[in-house]
Amino acid sequence: MLWTQRGWLKLQTLFGRERVAQQLDDELQFHLDQQIAENVAAGMNEEEARHAAMRLFGNATILKEETRDAWGWIALEQVTQDVRYGFRSLRKSPLFTAVAVLTLAFGIGANTAIFNVMDQVLLQLLPVKHPEQLVLVAERGMRLGDSWGDEDISYPMYRDFRDGNQVFSGMFCRFPTSVGLGYGDHTETVSAELVSGSYFPVLGVTATLGRILTPDDDRVPGGHPVAMLSHSFWQSRFSSDSTIVGKQITINGYAFTVIGVSQPGFDGLEVGYKSKIFVPMMMKLQMTPRSDGLQQRRLSWVTAFGRLKPGIGMAQATASLQPLMHNILQVELHEPTLQHYSDYDRAQFLRNSVELLPGARGWSGLRLYLQTPLWVLAALGGAVLLLACANLANLFLARATTREREMAVRLAIGAGRRRVIRLLLVESLLLSAIGTAVGLGLALLADRVLLAAYFSPDSTGDLPISPVPDARVFVFALAAMLLTALVFGLAPAIQSSKADIAPTLKDRAGSGAGGKQVFLRKLLVSGQVALALSLLIGATLFLRTLANLQGSGPGFSTEHLMVFRIDPSLSGYADARAKDFFRRLTDELQALPGVRSVGLSTMPLLQGYGWTNPVIAEGYAGDPGQEQRPIFDEISPKLFSTLELPVVAGRDFTPFDTRPVVLINEAFARKYFAGRNPLGLHIGMVDDRLATPDVPNLEVIGVVKDLKYKNLRDPAPPQGYLPYLQAERFRFMTFYLRTRPDPGQLMEAVREQVRRLDPNIPVVDMRTIDQQIGLSLTTERMVASLSSVFGFLATSLAVVGLYGVMAYTVATRRREIGIRVALGALQSDVLWMVMRQVVFLTGTGLAVGGLLAFALANLIRSQLYGLQPHDPFTFVSAGLVLSAAACAAGFIPSWRASHVDPMHALRHE
Amino acid sequence: MGKPSDLVQGTLDLLILKTISLEPKHGWAIAKRIQQISNEVLQVQQGSLYPALHRLEQKAWIKAKWADTETGRKAKFYSLTSTGRAQLGKEAANWSRLSAAINLVVETT
Repeated sequence: MLWTQRGWLKLQTLFGRERVAQQLDDELQFHLDQQIAENVAAGMNEEEARHAAMRLFGNATILKEETRDAWGWIALEQVTQDVRYGFRSLRKSPLFTAVAVLTLAFGIGANTAIFNVMDQVLLQLLPVKHPEQLVLVAERGMRLGDSWGDEDISYPMYRDFRDGNQVFSGMFCRFPTSVGLGYGDHTETVSAELVSGSYFPVLGVTATLGRILTPDDDRVPGGHPVAMLSHSFWQSRFSSDSTIVGKQITINGYAFTVIGVSQPGFDGLEVGYKSKIFVPMMMKLQMTPRSDGLQQRRLSWVTAFGRLKPGIGMAQATASLQPLMHNILQVELHEPTLQHYSDYDRAQFLRNSVELLPGARGWSGLRLYLQTPLWVLAALGGAVLLLACANLANLFLARATTREREMAVRLAIGAGRRRVIRLLLVESLLLSAIGTAVGLGLALLADRVLLAAYFSPDSTGDLPISPVPDARVFVFALAAMLLTALVFGLAPAIQSSKADIAPTLKDRAGSGAGGKQVFLRKLLVSGQVALALSLLIGATLFLRTLANLQGSGPGFSTEHLMVFRIDPSLSGYADARAKDFFRRLTDELQALPGVRSVGLSTMPLLQGYGWTNPVIAEGYAGDPGQEQRPIFDEISPKLFSTLELPVVAGRDFTPFDTRPVVLINEAFARKYFAGRNPLGLHIGMVDDRLATPDVPNLEVIGVVKDLKYKNLRDPAPPQGYLPYLQAERFRFMTFYLRTRPDPGQLMEAVREQVRRLDPNIPVVDMRTIDQQIGLSLTTERMVASLSSVFGFLATSLAVVGLYGVMAYTVATRRREIGIRVALGALQSDVLWMVMRQVVFLTGTGLAVGGLLAFALANLIRSQLYGLQPHDPFTFVSAGLVLSAAACAAGFIPSWRASHVDPMHALRHE
Repeated sequence: MGKPSDLVQGTLDLLILKTISLEPKHGWAIAKRIQQISNEVLQVQQGSLYPALHRLEQKAWIKAKWADTETGRKAKFYSLTSTGRAQLGKEAANWSRLSAAINLVVETT
């Protein structure tokens, strides 16, 4: 009661200030009138009575102020004054304000843009209950068998862990895959997640509509045609249809019932891979045709997570799971697929260990891949912001000298030092607030452009990483704003508050302007040059890496070459029918006007895919299980002529090959047939499910030139090619078309051709091979272009800073220079006198910056291609560019100094 | 003329609370009343009266209301709140104890 009363009064005095102040006036006026009336009653005349009353009353203004003080808002009132004054003084110097705001907007904008991406990719926890309890269960050691990824385990192993552990309150597993989704009359390829029945319950993710998948939906292989939709997919693809539950959709041609829609904001467990649809694990065979894996013990493909029981740590859990792991390995050792391994391998296998990894952020390949580039960019962005702060501190110091008089007056008429510091800090805060607001806009814009360029939007136009900043990004921007305001505002503010009042007011300002201040400004400039050099070196390294990669090329001509992919198995095609479809489509495309040649391969080039398989080769001693496995591909007879990749020995495939034959590349020949003619020799593919073949059975009929396979970075690995016409199992197929006109003109015709053969088969990733190469270099291009922008900004900031300081020094030394000239100094002497300082400042900066870059360059070694982190050419050229810019900037004030007219300069003061 | 600062710290609050404990009064009347009762010894000046009144109002010990005076003018009348009444009892007791103690000291020596 008391509190509400007090609070109400406080609010009245805050928001009804005008009215309350008016009432105070009335109250005091009433008092005065009473006094006058009394005086009159005592016999004074009107005039005397008024004066006597006023005398008694004293200073009304002080009285009012003291009374208002009792209202308790005095600090706020003063800050409001400061803000109003700050705005006024910023408006009075628009150029200063514009430069400062822009500098800050770039600095804070760049960092906010990077933070927005970094937060989503690296930092954010999963939107589930207690994400910190989640751990990922992985197997380490000699992982015999086939594996989709280092953190994946087999489904039976997951099941054994789930049923046998004592440390988890629940376990679940998942597997991401693309599926063909049909609804209405439209079929499209969407990203899906196969999940165990425990997935949603253990995560604590609920359903917005309908119900979640439960363990009861995941019991019988192939027996649960039910699916859940992600909230965002339900909104975009099904227009938030509230009657969707219970409706039928087709997935890969199978009828499924929608049972629910997940809670908003939940898109699966993988950053960069938004799951649109969730399907029970037991439907694996329907989701990935012809590859089941639910029973295979040494086929690792699921990512398994556990939720730690409260109070159990990771180390304790690992120790508790290890005996269980050993038991599982004991069982797996008797698997027929492990029988052909040596005793040594089998002994090592039994030593495999379980490892728990933090699972609070899920698992993400994108995160592993982008981690280093993002940290590099964040560091570069941070350096730019630091440079911006240095520049602003410099500007503020310069401004402080021009405002020395103002500050001296303030101090002289009784402002406390704290009040002066506060006023100046409020000004810095205002600037940085405006800069941050503009910067946020820039960041949103930059992220929109960058992310749209980096990720190709999926069928719903959705980007895996959102450019729209969330509350965390705003908090980050706010923190950046406060921090920068303090960094660039505090030192100048404290300096100003120390103004020496008497001499300043006696108009001797400028003559002795603090040597300490000039020293501080020079230090700042040298630091800027150092940072700018490091950034320039970094940018040059990244630019040259990009150029090297582009220059290296894929190993074949990319002109007029287009590529696309189809997967008939997602539309219910069996192998034989799919093979027939490929053959018919090839013929139809070949007949299209403008198409010169058509080639097929099962694995798409330069998209990071690779099918590896251990081999044995005739006359080659080596353990196929131990060595780096060659990459294989199944291709059509005309692939190499389409790619214009020469067959350097032997011959290409023909449609009539019936014997088991294989083509190899030069790297394969060098490794397995060193110094021998490989033609007519044999290799054998080791099948994990069977023992090693006793006799190599595939005859080498030709050798082709090397080409880059997974990406442009890795050198061509040993590679083998098999004829797809002899293969029996198919999923997706990549088509390559060499065209006469620009491929862009043919794309619609090609799509039409596919549609005519079967309208239910979606065409995926259709683009030119140049675009494909461009896409494979997106990360490199992003890092190179952003670091160039940062390098440019940094150089500009440093150069402007240097110019500012030198111009200021020259201005304060005008008188002295005038005297020198009057005493006979030559123009060149004066010029050199000033330039010497420029050279000194730049030189110190360059030396420090060079050392800094030398120390840091090793951190980005893994990101470079075709050059060393300490590449001398890069260091020297960056240094030259920066010193040229710095000397040019320093030359202007030097030249001005050398043209000082002594008469004018001396009369000036 | 005794200055308000001569008053022992906190006594002004006590005087104000006591003065308005019987009926609501405006500032001028409060000052007059204190002056009269104390036989012109205590002169409360506006400079301390109004800040004190507003402070007490913010503490919710007294409340204010605009009302007509006998001459028909609007004036701000202050009266005690229940918290203020309790506070008055406490302050008065304190004062008695303090003044008795001071008397003891002054008269014994």
